[in-house]
Amino acid sequence: MADVVVVPQVQPVQPALRFLRIIPGVLLLGAIGYAGKLLEQNVGTYAKAHHWVFPNIEYVLWAILLGLLISNTIGVPELFRSGVATYEFWLKTGIVLLGSRFLLGDILKLGGVSLLLVAIEIVGAIAFMTLLGRLFKLKPKLTTLLAVGSAVCGVSAIIATKGAIDADDEDSSFSIAAILALGALALFTFPLIGHFFHLGDRAYGIWAGLAVDNTAEATAAGALYSDAAGKLAVLVKSTRNAMIGFVVLAYAIYWASQGQAKTVGNKAAFLWQKFPKFVLGFLLISVLATYQFFSKDQVGSLANLSRWAFLLTFAGVGLRTNFRDMRKQGLRPFAVGAIGEIVIAVFTLGLVVGAEKLFGF
Amino acid sequence: MSGQESAVQEKKPWRLSLDTWAVVVALLAALLVRAGVFKHIPW
Repeated sequence: MADVVVVPQVQPVQPALRFLRIIPGVLLLGAIGYAGKLLEQNVGTYAKAHHWVFPNIEYVLWAILLGLLISNTIGVPELFRSGVATYEFWLKTGIVLLGSRFLLGDILKLGGVSLLLVAIEIVGAIAFMTLLGRLFKLKPKLTTLLAVGSAVCGVSAIIATKGAIDADDEDSSFSIAAILALGALALFTFPLIGHFFHLGDRAYGIWAGLAVDNTAEATAAGALYSDAAGKLAVLVKSTRNAMIGFVVLAYAIYWASQGQAKTVGNKAAFLWQKFPKFVLGFLLISVLATYQFFSKDQVGSLANLSRWAFLLTFAGVGLRTNFRDMRKQGLRPFAVGAIGEIVIAVFTLGLVVGAEKLFGF
Repeated sequence: MSGQESAVQEKKPWRLSLDTWAVVVALLAALLVRAGVFKHIPW
């Protein structure tokens, strides 16, 4: 019989202590987000009163800009970092609550169209990024990470794929930095392009959900355009997120067949493990809202709660974007990512405009 | 070693993923709104 050595666990941080550690950062997210909201309300009024010409900047942009300013000047002190990292939790909570503003019929109609567009986008983006990685002679696993990050859902997809294909830490941090930098650029360029082409809220929201990689940036890019565009961007991005398991599984099987990754045993369990559970929460709340489990006022309250959660997210997006750190990661993966993103953005814009004419959404 | 194989077992504590926590918290908040604990959430 084999000896069984039970490795003693390193004493984990107590849940209460972990909770206390996140409080300063969450308060910082709240303070920045709320400052963004106050700036939205007051700057426009002040400018008007003093006859200044000043664009109407929404709280989304103010919160991101304030976060960027702190992150790229004084930096985020250690005390706040654990709490700032919770922005992704607020994002997913906000998305689940946003489900209350979608009726199941809308989801089935728009979800069906967006599923088709997402499938085309994923296949096109993976094929193009793989070709680009070969042209630029990037390492094959780095190319895989960039392809998954651009095609599916940014940082979460890269992290999920890294574990499944045994990629290097260096490759994944390259890819994450490239995707985050490009996401930050998309935040500012997408609304401008949308206005330039006079895109409607629906077309723009679907485009942002299809082409912006990270869920937080896609949500913000949509909300920067309009409330309705923000809703659509979240729906389409969630459809893309739901595909993550299938894409990661396909890559895991490919790299295992090359003898460069572990074989996937139970494929159904693998898919469930990678499936983003917040998509199910979003659908559940939407089903409850469709069957009038909530009154009209309660739906309004849930929508507002979702906005508060997004407010913390947008502050976090600014705070975690540090341009100096991104520059350190090198130019080649960034160049591949940038070329890929531009082509994907143009391709998906064409796809959305074509689908709008075809399906009339 | 005395020719016997050693196996290493790690006991991982059971934890909910971030996604699942987000769903739990959102559903709890929705139930509290539904139950009238939070009458109106302003924006």
